[in-house]
Amino acid sequence: MSTLLSDSQRRTLVDLLRAAFPHDTFPSGPYERTAQAVIDAAAASPRLQALLVQGLRDLDQQREVPFSELDRETAAVVLRGIADTPFFAGILDVAVVALYDDHEVWDVLGYEGASYDQGGYLNRGFDDLDWLPDPRIESYEEASA
Amino acid sequence: MTRFDYDDSDVVVVVGSGAGGGTLAHELCKRGFKTVVLEAGPHLTGEDYHNDEWKAFGQMAWTDPRTTSGSWAIAKDFPNLPAWIVKAVGGTTTHWAGACPRFKAHELAARTAYGDIDGASLLDWPITLSELEPYYDQAEIKMGVSHRHGRPPLPANNNYKVFANGAEKVGYRDYATGPYATNAEPYDGRPATVQDGFNFQGDKHGSKWSTLVAELPKAEATGNLDLRADSHVAQILHDTDGRATGVLYVDRNGTLRRQRAAVVCVAGNSIETARLLLLSASTQFPDGLANSSGQVGRNYMRHTTGTVWGQFDKPVRMYRGETMAGVIGDEARLDTDRGFAGGYYMQTIALGPAFFGKFVAPGSWGPALTDVVDKYLNTAGMWIVGEDMPQESNRVTLSETVDEYGLPAANVHFDDHPNDVLMRRHGHQQGAAVYKAVGATNTIETPPYPSTHNLGTCRMSQRPGDGVVDRFGRAHDVPNLFVSDGSVFTTGGAANPTLTIVALAIRQAEYIAGQYRTARS
Repeated sequence: MSTLLSDSQRRTLVDLLRAAFPHDTFPSGPYERTAQAVIDAAAASPRLQALLVQGLRDLDQQREVPFSELDRETAAVVLRGIADTPFFAGILDVAVVALYDDHEVWDVLGYEGASYDQGGYLNRGFDDLDWLPDPRIESYEEASA
Repeated sequence: MTRFDYDDSDVVVVVGSGAGGGTLAHELCKRGFKTVVLEAGPHLTGEDYHNDEWKAFGQMAWTDPRTTSGSWAIAKDFPNLPAWIVKAVGGTTTHWAGACPRFKAHELAARTAYGDIDGASLLDWPITLSELEPYYDQAEIKMGVSHRHGRPPLPANNNYKVFANGAEKVGYRDYATGPYATNAEPYDGRPATVQDGFNFQGDKHGSKWSTLVAELPKAEATGNLDLRADSHVAQILHDTDGRATGVLYVDRNGTLRRQRAAVVCVAGNSIETARLLLLSASTQFPDGLANSSGQVGRNYMRHTTGTVWGQFDKPVRMYRGETMAGVIGDEARLDTDRGFAGGYYMQTIALGPAFFGKFVAPGSWGPALTDVVDKYLNTAGMWIVGEDMPQESNRVTLSETVDEYGLPAANVHFDDHPNDVLMRRHGHQQGAAVYKAVGATNTIETPPYPSTHNLGTCRMSQRPGDGVVDRFGRAHDVPNLFVSDGSVFTTGGAANPTLTIVALAIRQAEYIAGQYRTARS
């Protein structure tokens, strides 16, 4: 798949994603793969690619220094300023799916993913919550009968 | 595999293989009727399913073009995905969660119970609960519904422990882990659940009832079922007497086929059922087949829904175990003192991070989203599902957009009724109270997902002018045309619809068998 985006624009996109989805616990891998997902989607969508080519360039003109050199607070303000643009919406649309579908993200969040090939959670903690008492499972009538 | 001739005009054609179509087909095959089931989607089975939210969505969901309009949140959040239903053999029963409440007596007489509500087109069903009860029994036995007819309850999973303890603390009494049509122990040749946590993605284990694993294999065993997957029905044909003569459908090779029929039953889920009737317009039926009342497509209902998440300072791991396995029924009571008509259920729900991130706050980003996602592990979830008010202007029509065959897609227009808004607000408040009662540090209210309960559009009515079908689901206008899915619901009730769709399909099969046996002899 071909892209008109430069390497530095790709890096700007990664930094944009980090600023748009600020998770202190996430390593850079998921952000880089999410950027790739956006670039791949753009390769199949001339509209999205056009938005990226122009939008990433514009993003660097917002302040005296390029977007990637902004501190976290300023980057957030810049993003709020472009939140309603098709450029940002187009990125968000792909990114929210790609980022939270990333298995490294799942590990960080504590999600275990596919389970059927391991016999489900039947013997692997589907009911291991121990900070509340075990509630009744029957209906009120069944339990009082 | 049984195969009937395209020109065999003795067959019953059933369009759709989900809760209504799959059940009806089994009940007809059992009674000796030659039955052709035309299913638009592929024949997926347990081995094909993915334990992965987006992969499964891509595999199973109906993603053919659809459009939306109206003031509902869906038109903004998911403009081309008004409904989240399945396009595959077994239909939406392959991804349903399994909740099986019955309608309450007053919900089948909503106009009488709630009175005249401004802007609502309430109507009493032409059936009472006592008429429906024997069929509810048959449906529950067929489906192996927990808590019913000796079936044991599901065990408490982590999400339920939070939900039920909260319910108890706020004074609710009507809570339990069911009724659900998922096996807690083996039943009817299907195994007990292994609590793998994937329901909306298809149940690989087959412990949840679906027409894929229960009704269709049984129908096939009779030798009377001709199941054709990848077969998209484009039009219902009729003769000059106004009787249905068969259907035109596009087969898996893209070839248009004609299947003749003695009886045609439509069960494509409310949006597609109405669309097919509208697409079947002719000189004789200029506004669409069975639409002399002008009611086809109207009174589209989708239940008043919402989700409440509670986040805690300790782990919940809601994703482990059955996706939905808990019901609070206290708010489903008849009580107009709450400021709205109708009731609602609260039911446990769990999503993985992929869907949680996408749906928890549609369109949001920044800390508003990431702070919530960071606490994923400590999150419990419940879905609110309640009766929405039928409105004539909430409507399925033909869109300017066309599908891959050039057939106009469905446009789904919906505006929330003020009653729906009040109910959703009440549900969000009560749901938050349940979680706060057991120590939630914060709660989140999520707007509706694309509709999973699509109802109305061909409502059942006593008088032909008020609806599309009679009390057996037979079209008022076309004597050998039936509607066999949730389209026939006169009003929506609060209950998840599948059990009622199955009960009505059993009843309809009995009726068709009576009518057509008599006619033949």
